[in-house]
Amino acid sequence: MSEIGSNKSISDRVKEIGMQKFLAPAALVILYIFFGIFGRNFFSFTSLVNILDASYYIGFIAIGVTFVIITGGIDLSVGTVMMAAAIIGGTAYKSWGWPMWLSLIVIMVVATAFGYFNGILVSRLRLPPFIATLGTMMISMGVGSIVSNVRSATYPTRSEADGWFKSIFKYLGDDGLTIPTGFIVLFITAMIAFLILTKTKMGRYIFAVGSNKEAARLSGVDVQKWEMMAYVISGITAGIGAIAFAAVYTTVMPAQGQGFELYAIAGAVIGGTSLSGGVGSVFGTLIGVYIMSTLRVGLPSMDLQAHYQTFFTGVVVIGAVLLDLYRNKRASEVRILNPADIYRNTQTTVINRMKKEISGLSGSEAEEKKKELSSIRTETKSTYIRMKKEDKAEKKRILAAEKAAEKAFQKELKGDLKTL
Amino acid sequence: MIIHTTKGNLKNTVFSNFLLLRRLLLNESVLSMKGIHKRFMGVHALKGVDFNLKYGEIHALVGENGAGKSTMMKVLTGIYEKDSGEIQFQGKLFHPHNPTQALTAGIGIIHQELNMMEHLTVAQNIYIGRETMKSGGLFLDDKGQNQRAEALFNRLNMNIDPSETLSRLTVGKQQMVEIAKAVSHDLKVLILDEPTAALTEIEIEELFTIMRNLASKGVAMIYISHRMDEIGRISDRVTVMRDGEYVGTNDTKKVSKEDIINMMVGRIIYEKPKVKSNVSADARVVLEVNNLNAGRLVKDVSFKLHEGEILGFAGLMGAGRTETARALFGADEIQSGTIKVNGKPVKITNPMVAVRHGIGYLSEDRKRYGLATGLSVIENSLMASYDKYETGLFIHAGKIRAITDEYVNKLSIKTPTIDQLLNNLSGGNQQKVVIAKWLINDADILIFDEPTRGIDVGAKSEIYTLMNELAAQGKSIIMISSELPEVLRMSDRIIVMCEGRVTGELDIEGTSQEEVMKYATMRENV
Repeated sequence: MSEIGSNKSISDRVKEIGMQKFLAPAALVILYIFFGIFGRNFFSFTSLVNILDASYYIGFIAIGVTFVIITGGIDLSVGTVMMAAAIIGGTAYKSWGWPMWLSLIVIMVVATAFGYFNGILVSRLRLPPFIATLGTMMISMGVGSIVSNVRSATYPTRSEADGWFKSIFKYLGDDGLTIPTGFIVLFITAMIAFLILTKTKMGRYIFAVGSNKEAARLSGVDVQKWEMMAYVISGITAGIGAIAFAAVYTTVMPAQGQGFELYAIAGAVIGGTSLSGGVGSVFGTLIGVYIMSTLRVGLPSMDLQAHYQTFFTGVVVIGAVLLDLYRNKRASEVRILNPADIYRNTQTTVINRMKKEISGLSGSEAEEKKKELSSIRTETKSTYIRMKKEDKAEKKRILAAEKAAEKAFQKELKGDLKTL
Repeated sequence: MIIHTTKGNLKNTVFSNFLLLRRLLLNESVLSMKGIHKRFMGVHALKGVDFNLKYGEIHALVGENGAGKSTMMKVLTGIYEKDSGEIQFQGKLFHPHNPTQALTAGIGIIHQELNMMEHLTVAQNIYIGRETMKSGGLFLDDKGQNQRAEALFNRLNMNIDPSETLSRLTVGKQQMVEIAKAVSHDLKVLILDEPTAALTEIEIEELFTIMRNLASKGVAMIYISHRMDEIGRISDRVTVMRDGEYVGTNDTKKVSKEDIINMMVGRIIYEKPKVKSNVSADARVVLEVNNLNAGRLVKDVSFKLHEGEILGFAGLMGAGRTETARALFGADEIQSGTIKVNGKPVKITNPMVAVRHGIGYLSEDRKRYGLATGLSVIENSLMASYDKYETGLFIHAGKIRAITDEYVNKLSIKTPTIDQLLNNLSGGNQQKVVIAKWLINDADILIFDEPTRGIDVGAKSEIYTLMNELAAQGKSIIMISSELPEVLRMSDRIIVMCEGRVTGELDIEGTSQEEVMKYATMRENV
């Protein structure tokens, strides 16, 4: 009897896992087809390029932030860290005259350093991640403005000699052909992140920390180190995001980047990463990001301006989290068996036992048993339905009685108050 | 004993098996603790406790709640540091500073609450921190790790899929995984702290088989449990603790269940028990609960509460008393059952409804659920009744000061002013503020959950007097308490619970600690 309630059939289980894994991709495909049918000129190479273009920098930081969220933390600083790194790199190139390759390295170093800083605040100094990264968000924005002297930084254009790095993210052919190569960079980054998260110790420990930090610590895992590494990775991806931003948009304004982190977090959440930690996947996050950029490109094609994107993204985020909550609640619910269920369970064991007996028999004996079995089956079914009905009626009756009593009580209470 | 071996390490295995055999035959001690003292701010939790454990032995450790069993085990596993005393482990002095150190030395513990990573798979949980890597050492070898876990499960006769996510297993199976994890560390001593609390009868039998199997391999086990019949079934010896002191150790076969209970409760009773109920049998029933079900720990609970009665709820930890109270108060969801207040059925869906029907709940954890310690006496006292002192949009300041003053005097709450923050009051006075809160709200049914926990002796008797006065005024009180002398001193009637069920209803007249204890350990299906 102990197994009842926890023993799901295999098909149920497949259904459940399947739903979790495929819901977000299915939503993306449906969305794409929806815009294809109802939007103007949506099924085109240009809009595909636009969707991919719109995903780069958010995509990179969303991957990083996924690591942090899996540990049960949050990184609010990714957006401004990315932009701070971009503007510092641009200043190094433009104002200080550093070579391009060195400027790109500067971008990566700055972003990684901020990630490291977050990691120390959270894992060693025990600051709540929300506060620590909120502080870093402001600090990084300030640092960007201070270093750039509140002047925008301009990266070389494609035609200049130092513009080579732009081709990493978008290849322009001689005949006007554009290939969004950034997609490949994003995919490779995601692939590496995926490997780290699922195939290395680092990933395993990041999940362990997010699932139950104390249990991980008691199992001898260096909890501080791995929690910190999640923030460092978030910094590194912010650096890659910064290079992507510079490549796509050329001019970097000071004090930008606020709000990007929210899109990154939204992407992770839509992709199934749980804000309470322990659950999440890199490719889920990517799907989340693509859902947002599809909205961004698709809505204008339906004559709805881009700002509708914010509105619908909000709806999608809330929907995704609600769905997740509902699913978790369903999964952890304690089921109380009513008499009808108990009856059915006992009958099922009887039937199963008979089935086993039959498989061992042959000839007329088996035929007889089979007949007996089918009669038991029909009886079980009808009795179960009858019991269920009775149960329902009883519940209804109790509910009605309670409601009536409650009403009477309210009336009495009102009377009492008046006499007071 | 069957010796599994390969040619290469035959010599080694024979030697180690010889050692094991010698240890088992000579009854050698693997662990001995002598004169362990541990103090927490003012509380002397362990007062020179001795404990001895032999190789391959299953040793039950029993005692009432708060007897010091868990503290003792936490000292042994390095979660707490002892103040004084000596631990010998495998013939050497042993002083662990943290759980990891104890684990590497060969002492592992399975806590009462499961302490695992539920999002990871079974095998990932078992080998966390010691992952199987692919050659090269960069990537994890989950496949190999699953095979390792499979082999481990086979050795322990457990039937669990290593690649299953932990949260998908039943609590019983999760417990098995935790045991497998502990065993995979090559332990010499395994501590099991109430491992059967959440298990079904079949699972308990499985667990015992595994334990016997481990014992035959020389692993010594400390088995903490409240369940007397299980102790009789599984343990070789039993040690009793009481109030932080060592009472005695006996061979399980030589002592009866009653002997053990007597050893557990045998303290000098400095509080005189009540002899006779103060409530006549035909007193009005103010609360009637029928077949209440809520969650895992409230199963078919039925009882009646009379006007002016103090109804004691006795039972061991995890008996479901607090859960019953929370369900009754609407704090947890009621799944089925009926509740009648003053003879009328009511549906209590949340605490607001309960408050409206005159029920007040004093939580066992005042600081977390009962009070806002950062607020003042007046704010806490009025917490439940602001509605009554509202005039239009605003709270009537004069009235609430007057009523608070009145109750501060009535309950003799020692506070310089009613604006004093709760943080600055003693535990006893904080508890009185909670009582004031419900009295101001005109609650007629008061649920006291461990009313004297963490309160010093003087304040305790004040609380007792207050409760008796309230009952005399016609308030009805449900008192949940884990201290048997307290239950016997205060109650007119006693409801005893065990594992979510009411196992006994005792009149105060003629009952005893032993009788209450008997019902408190009365498990189903045994």
